[in-house]
Amino acid sequence: MKHGMKILFAMAAIGAISLSGCASTIQYDDAGSAKPISTEFGSSDLQQIAEAMVESMITFPPMVEMTASRRPVVSVDMVKNKTMQHIDTESVTDSIRTRLIRSGKFRFIDRTTDAQTIEELKTQQDSGLVDKKTAVDFGHQVGAEFLLTSNLSEIRQKLGSTTDVYYKFTMSLKNLKTGILEWSDEKEIRKVSKRGTFGG
Amino acid sequence: MKQNRNGIVGSMAAVAVITSLGLAGCSTTAGVEVTGKTTWDEQGARSLEKNVQFNNSGLKGDIQIVDVKSIMAGDVMRVQATLRSKDNATLPFQYRFEWYDGGGMEINSGAGSWKPLILYGRESKTIQSVAPNPRAKEFKLKIREPD
Repeated sequence: MKHGMKILFAMAAIGAISLSGCASTIQYDDAGSAKPISTEFGSSDLQQIAEAMVESMITFPPMVEMTASRRPVVSVDMVKNKTMQHIDTESVTDSIRTRLIRSGKFRFIDRTTDAQTIEELKTQQDSGLVDKKTAVDFGHQVGAEFLLTSNLSEIRQKLGSTTDVYYKFTMSLKNLKTGILEWSDEKEIRKVSKRGTFGG
Repeated sequence: MKQNRNGIVGSMAAVAVITSLGLAGCSTTAGVEVTGKTTWDEQGARSLEKNVQFNNSGLKGDIQIVDVKSIMAGDVMRVQATLRSKDNATLPFQYRFEWYDGGGMEINSGAGSWKPLILYGRESKTIQSVAPNPRAKEFKLKIREPD
């Protein structure tokens, strides 16, 4: 009888401690965490793609040769999102561009801020507020030599409680003068989810 | 008397079980840290000083760092580590590279992300990384069990 009570107490203690140890709370987590929540496109997938593309591009031998003496000017095209999901693909290319700028090997032009640039130049030229000696003229921006294009596609398969999603991100660097693709690479990611018997 | 003693042993076992549950449930261990530093001798020949540290005995039984090497791609450092599984089962891991400049300061501190790695039973696999920029002279590779 006494022994039985002790076991009961011990079990209650296990329950209480394991619950209090992992109680649900709000906390900061590692922004570089690779913990998958679902088979949807996630933050870790974005980081893996960005790092793989940049590492491939800056170590590709013709690129190493070209960037040894100069920093070519590149423009980034929108990602063609061929998946069934809504993905902020600009965020993917932003990450790639940021990493390429950090490498110190490429320079970029940004077409998404052209409207603001034109507005600012117009003000400098026409408002009469700005000293003509320091006002920036139209027509002096540098044209991009290369265009960075990319595609994101997925293959989704489902059988019973298993969902298997394959992502493929392909990126190419196109020489705008010659039309030649100077570099291209792809990154594959596969995510599998198995729904438990009692899971929703 | 004997029953009482049994009870004490029982509660001690319970405490051990609680402790192990608590640890397994909510923590990710530090795992393995591999550091490498590029140095040059008087003749200008490049070499890599490396050091492997296991902070987790469980992981030490699972994987082995077979080789660490580094080459230059232009002016950027490239690293490759060869890992071998000591287990017969398929094991998931995560790894991350951090890069430091010649003065030991981390480059883009905290910007590295964990990458998944799957090792099949007794398989050896290489993982690679490229320095974020030409200033990087040292790296740290961290390997851990998935969180």
